[in-house]
Amino acid sequence: MIISIDHLSKYYQIHKKEPGFIGSLKSLVARKYETVKAVDDISFSISEGEVVGFIGPNGAGKTTTLKCLSGLLYPTKGKVEVLGFTPFDRKSQFLKQISLVMGQKNQLWWDLPAMDTFLLNKEIYEIESEKFDQVVEDLATRLLVKDILHVPVRKLSLGQRMKMELIAALIHSPKVLFLDEPTIGLDVVMQRTIREFLREYNQAYKASIILTSHYMGDVEALCKRVIVINFGKILYDGLLSDLVKEHAPYKIIKVVFSDKVENKKLESYGETRRFGFPEWEVRIKQKDANDVAARILKHLPVEDINIEDPEIEDVIAGFFVANKK
Amino acid sequence: MRYFRIFVLHFQQAFENRGRSFIWLLLAVINPLLVLSYWIGVYHSQNGGIAGWALSSVTSYYFLLMFAGSFLIAHVEYDVAVHDIQEGGLVKYLLKPFSYFWYYFLGELPWRMIQGLFSLTILFIFSLFLGKFVQLVSTPELILAAIIISLLGFILSFIFKMILGFTAFWLTDFHGVQSIFEIIILVFAGFVMPLEFYPALIEGIAKVLPFAYMVYYPVIALQGKLDLVSLLQVVGMQLVWIFAFLAVYKLMWSKGVRSFTGVGQ
Repeated sequence: MIISIDHLSKYYQIHKKEPGFIGSLKSLVARKYETVKAVDDISFSISEGEVVGFIGPNGAGKTTTLKCLSGLLYPTKGKVEVLGFTPFDRKSQFLKQISLVMGQKNQLWWDLPAMDTFLLNKEIYEIESEKFDQVVEDLATRLLVKDILHVPVRKLSLGQRMKMELIAALIHSPKVLFLDEPTIGLDVVMQRTIREFLREYNQAYKASIILTSHYMGDVEALCKRVIVINFGKILYDGLLSDLVKEHAPYKIIKVVFSDKVENKKLESYGETRRFGFPEWEVRIKQKDANDVAARILKHLPVEDINIEDPEIEDVIAGFFVANKK
Repeated sequence: MRYFRIFVLHFQQAFENRGRSFIWLLLAVINPLLVLSYWIGVYHSQNGGIAGWALSSVTSYYFLLMFAGSFLIAHVEYDVAVHDIQEGGLVKYLLKPFSYFWYYFLGELPWRMIQGLFSLTILFIFSLFLGKFVQLVSTPELILAAIIISLLGFILSFIFKMILGFTAFWLTDFHGVQSIFEIIILVFAGFVMPLEFYPALIEGIAKVLPFAYMVYYPVIALQGKLDLVSLLQVVGMQLVWIFAFLAVYKLMWSKGVRSFTGVGQ
């Protein structure tokens, strides 16, 4: 196992204050603290080359877990092991084999070309010149940024900067990659490029990847396995396809009508999700999907019909609602 | 070699920002010149020196203070406290297989060198036109000792400023802490006036505290006001403070990083 987490908990002490001046005075005399369980007794393991999606709403404990795994946070309880190291010791040999990419933060020197930051990382990670040239060439080609490696970072677009951030984070060819919202703020084309790149990177370098993202597209495109977390607890750990099967055992039939249809006529087919002539979307139990589609075709004025899987966002949202605290 | 190459890369980065260096230099130059104009007025209104200092000693002191202010005083505390600890930028350093201390040291050194070079140029121009008002140490062994004291002064100020920045691990209002220490440094490092001008008690306190060893002693050593024995005593005190600060640094770092949550990340 490349990563193993055994009963990990991370608690924070948060100072609580009542509102207003009196509240401030009270807090001066007797401070009240509350313990927040950001991560509460979770266990899982990840093998070499595996790409795992770590999903959950804001404040679920995703980033805290990633920070414990990369050695930034000292766990309150439990055992964490990554590549045979205890992350918080932050041994050089450990740090040289991992990378954490946070979509909102950057490490590039603003006034200098990205290449200068890469050169700095080359020294910091003690990479041999030949290997460095080869990796920069490879990553820059994959991300289509070879011609802007020598342009000052401040002159690059957000998407170009994110690509450079990725190169800076991968220059030492890490075996384990923690990605926290890597596509945040990027347009759809750029999101797709980054996803493609990560998939290629995973295959080429056999890297294990844990990815958190609010864009389910990222997770769907990259991860077979997902770990769903909320309120610091793991709610699900398994294949994404199984999660969908278990928690969304339905299909969506999308119909375009050729003629007007009364609302009432549609009720018998299933639960209408959206209706605005000429389009209609209906939710049908998975096993009934084909029969219902046949009935629709037979009895309604259909111009076009499609049977689709539910949106992954809807599945996850439904899952969270069902598992509310 | 690795450290040298990292230093060179940082130098390149600092050189790219030489405009910023120039602004900081102005700050380091304007204050001593203003205070100097006050002292010139005082010397003109009375005969004889103050506390055994002739006018030419006082002018040399403030000219050298310009140099010391720009070359010897590190300005790392704000980045450490606000950008790294409060805003969470520390994360990127914690993830690197390289010491935070050395990263900052090799990053700060080029800034001091560039600003020091600017102020040396100004000092040289002053000495061309106002030769008798710029008195510098002249014997080789005293020059060597003065250079060593200056370098130790920089190291001392660097470690102290890092420690000051680390207070942000526990205190939310770093600006308050920073303002208090700015005043303390201003007074006790000799930025306001030579320590001999203070009442005996304050002078005594100043000579025990570490701040005089960052600026005041390097300046008077460069002026040639210290004999070899005094120079060695200064080096001794500087080493004592450096080791004491290093111990505090280590303790604060290990405790601070444990309490660090990387907020804003």
